[in-house]
Amino acid sequence: MLILKSVSLFDGDQLLEGTFDILIEKSKIKAIVPEGNKIDIKGARSIELKGTLACPGFIDIHAHLREPGEEWREDIESGSLAGARGGFTTIVAMPNTSPPLDRPELIRHIARKGREVRGAKVLPSGAISKNREGKELAELFGMAKEGAVLFTEDGSPTSNTELLRNALLYTKDLNLKIMEHPEDPYLSNGGQINEGKISALSGLKGIPRSSELIGVERCIALAEELRSPIHITHVSTKESISAIRSAKERGIPITCDTTPHHLSLEESEIIKSDFNPVYKVKPPLRTLEDIEALWEAISDGIIDAIATDHAPYHPDEKDLPFEEAPFGIASLECAVAVVLNEWHNRKQKISIERILRLFTSGPSRILPERYRELGKLKEGGIANITVLDLEKIKKVNASSWVSKCRLTPWDGITLKGWPILTIVEGEVFQIDI
Amino acid sequence: MRVKHRHLLDLRNWSREDIESVLHLAKEFEKKLNHEREKASCLRKAIIVNLFLEPSTRTRVSFELAGKMMGATVINWSNSSSSMVKGESLKDTVWTLEAMGVDAIVIRSRTIGTAAYLAKKLKRASVINAGDGAHAHPTQTLLDIYTLWKRLGSLAGKKVLILGDILHSRVARSNIIGFKKMGAKIIVSAPKTLLPLDLSPLGVQYEPDPLKAVKSADIIYVLRIQRERIKSSLIPSLREYNLRFGCARELLTEASSKTVVMHPGPINRGVEIDSEVSDSSRSIILEQVKSGISIRMAILYLLLKAREG
Ligand SMILES: [Zn+2]
Repeated sequence: MLILKSVSLFDGDQLLEGTFDILIEKSKIKAIVPEGNKIDIKGARSIELKGTLACPGFIDIHAHLREPGEEWREDIESGSLAGARGGFTTIVAMPNTSPPLDRPELIRHIARKGREVRGAKVLPSGAISKNREGKELAELFGMAKEGAVLFTEDGSPTSNTELLRNALLYTKDLNLKIMEHPEDPYLSNGGQINEGKISALSGLKGIPRSSELIGVERCIALAEELRSPIHITHVSTKESISAIRSAKERGIPITCDTTPHHLSLEESEIIKSDFNPVYKVKPPLRTLEDIEALWEAISDGIIDAIATDHAPYHPDEKDLPFEEAPFGIASLECAVAVVLNEWHNRKQKISIERILRLFTSGPSRILPERYRELGKLKEGGIANITVLDLEKIKKVNASSWVSKCRLTPWDGITLKGWPILTIVEGEVFQIDI
Repeated sequence: MRVKHRHLLDLRNWSREDIESVLHLAKEFEKKLNHEREKASCLRKAIIVNLFLEPSTRTRVSFELAGKMMGATVINWSNSSSSMVKGESLKDTVWTLEAMGVDAIVIRSRTIGTAAYLAKKLKRASVINAGDGAHAHPTQTLLDIYTLWKRLGSLAGKKVLILGDILHSRVARSNIIGFKKMGAKIIVSAPKTLLPLDLSPLGVQYEPDPLKAVKSADIIYVLRIQRERIKSSLIPSLREYNLRFGCARELLTEASSKTVVMHPGPINRGVEIDSEVSDSSRSIILEQVKSGISIRMAILYLLLKAREG
């Protein structure tokens, strides 16, 4: 038995009045008692949490955990522990592994491991096509049965639009979403960074902004035609936002997410850092205007989730001149703090509830129906809880990370607002109070 | 004469005063070269490595001569065909060079950021960027400025027309920064496919028609055009390029009689420049080549010998 004492509460949708004691028994939330009716049970472990905020456990619907095949970068276990340290209780692992997760047996394997890990629970996603080649549909029904929570070719867009369309039709009755990485590979071919000011100055090949927009518009066209829901991941430009906004206004069933790095880092960091590859990501870092458009979209409810796109590499793989380094950065252990820190600068305009929904009820609605409960904090529910200290100020210290990857743009940066405690199915995972 | 820099990666952080120090020192070295043809001994204890991961005979020889004219030990490490092309073994090379006690590394690479990467890894040695991808080629810019400085006295108020493939050109990028620091105004003319989508970050004027652009130009700076641009569907043919953007006699007839023509070399005769122009009295292309040696002597001297602190 565990009691979280005097904590404020966000139930997945809103902040509740007052403070509460939360009683946890085994993996369930036994009771939530308002202030005044304190619980006191002999022998129960209690944690004093005055001044902090308990939320449903955070969900990351887009992380690369590299298992099977590239476990030197990360694996289910290290990713799960890193996630819990970063405030996540559920993580969706991307299927662009080696081999890709494109068969029911592989999904079964990851799903089992993902349940057994000690940190955040890991849910598998499956590839849309066999071997991610974009030629033949993978066994989507079979993978769904073994626990795949969504399908995606992420790492790249679905190369063949007809195949994507067929996948949307084929899975329509499964109530399970296709997640699409929006990019036109012809336009982005050889591109290194956002096409614009920094590409003009540096000579690095620009990725046209239309590359992402065309990917987004393709999703919108298919979702509209088929009335099939589609989730667009790591949206990064103001043009994408405006297309998604108008599609949503027309009632087209699309959802989208963006990442902590696209919400906080400008493309100019690339030159300022003398081409440090920790700023090399796909989609590329954009401009201040894009960052503002993303925050405005958060404020208007256009964005449904924040996803880390945690993309770990071994230090040696990324320790290269900018042009040769691979795309991707690690962020699981500071992603929540990065977003909270940015929110602090904008809290006049954006309520904390807006932000918290993007990590809880928002992503839970992108997952299949049976996971909807993960986005709620309530009596009788699973004891997945993320406790935040919104005022906590701490420096990112990547060398202490449990993730195998420490290549992060925020190493050494001081952030305000941190997860201090993660409880996964009743188990206290991390205390940093 | 001193500079505060350990490396020469690009000219962003070099002030006009820094550049002027280089010019004055280069002039001293050039005098020596012209009159005495005598080797100096000011760098006789220095070891300099020319690390050329992308072949370039001209620039390498120029650096080699510059080092040798000052008595330095110069090693050429130019295995562009081996695994060294990839950055993976660049790291090991750095440790090797450091262990051998190298004082300066002149680095040429296809990859943007290679010079900056080396500079971050090296604890002691100076790094001189001899060209990294489409990013920067600062010694080319310095030698261009030097050539013009000798001929025109000052660049202040002068108009430079840069003609050709700005998008892929490290020379264009460096020259725009350097020439502007010296007070020049830049006009660019090129097919739109060979320009950055947004030119405003470069702070240059755009004129699509070279015949118009050339009217007010004191200097025409012609850039090399690569055959690959046809394959990547950026231009239809070299012939068409020559007709629209080639530096030919017709272009020069629109210009003032004092306008000079420059090119970073090597030239494609009949493509971006016609022989008639490149071999004419307007052309100062060979002066550029000559300036290269004294400019590189000055840079090596300033970074190795006269660095502050
Ligand atoms: Zn992606």
